[in-house]
Amino acid sequence: MFQNLTVFETAHAMAVHAGQRQAVIAQNVANADTPGFVARDLQNFQSAFASSDPMQSAQRATRPGHLHGAAVPVSNPMIGEDRSFAAPDGNSVSLETEMLRATDAKRQHDRSLAIYKSALNILRSSLGRQ
Amino acid sequence: MNEFSKALDVSTSGLKAQSSRLRHLSENISNADTPGYRRKTIPFRTEFDAGGGVAKVEVGRVSLDDRPLERVFDPSHPLADGTGHYEGSNVDLLIELADAREAQRSYEANLKMFEQARQMSSGLMQLLRR
Repeated sequence: MFQNLTVFETAHAMAVHAGQRQAVIAQNVANADTPGFVARDLQNFQSAFASSDPMQSAQRATRPGHLHGAAVPVSNPMIGEDRSFAAPDGNSVSLETEMLRATDAKRQHDRSLAIYKSALNILRSSLGRQ
Repeated sequence: MNEFSKALDVSTSGLKAQSSRLRHLSENISNADTPGYRRKTIPFRTEFDAGGGVAKVEVGRVSLDDRPLERVFDPSHPLADGTGHYEGSNVDLLIELADAREAQRSYEANLKMFEQARQMSSGLMQLLRR
């Protein structure tokens, strides 16, 4: 387990992702009454982490000129939403959905911090310091 | 600029925008009986902050509603014309109150996002304590 400490890396990536998602949701909520604003979200952590996992060192195509098939946009995981639920002024933010997502982001952040803390405690006790 | 300060920044811009909206609404309501008063409206627009790359909300210039003023029949009024009418304001209290309620809801949502970003940030700080 503590040969390369991937649990810390994963917990760190998860906390970073939750923080980024929180910032995106805060933008949506702040612009909840701006005409023409389209709500955005990040893709979920599982798929975001899988695409940037250093353990899977397969080559990826990030530009149309690359050899490996179709380019997958990895640098910008932001997804815009469809405007099908948009209000007449073109705003597609739903405060209820944003609250749900914000709670989700908070829980993900808490979870990652709990994992980090628990791993840190195990590491500490393995070093014999309490 | 880390993600939490981005989130706090965006939420603050939302709070400012909503409170300035509420201020103009209360101006309208208090001048509902002022003869010749035209209701003020303020537009919201998204402002991309180049430094942080976040979509803040900004309040645009105040504009006056150019709906026709209400004509009130009161021959004893000092401003009454030959037919006994004078021009009142074009404020509709029902619209103003509904708008004020919406502003309050959005303000609360922004406040909740601010509080949550703060909680997540302080959870991160808890990791440093023992």
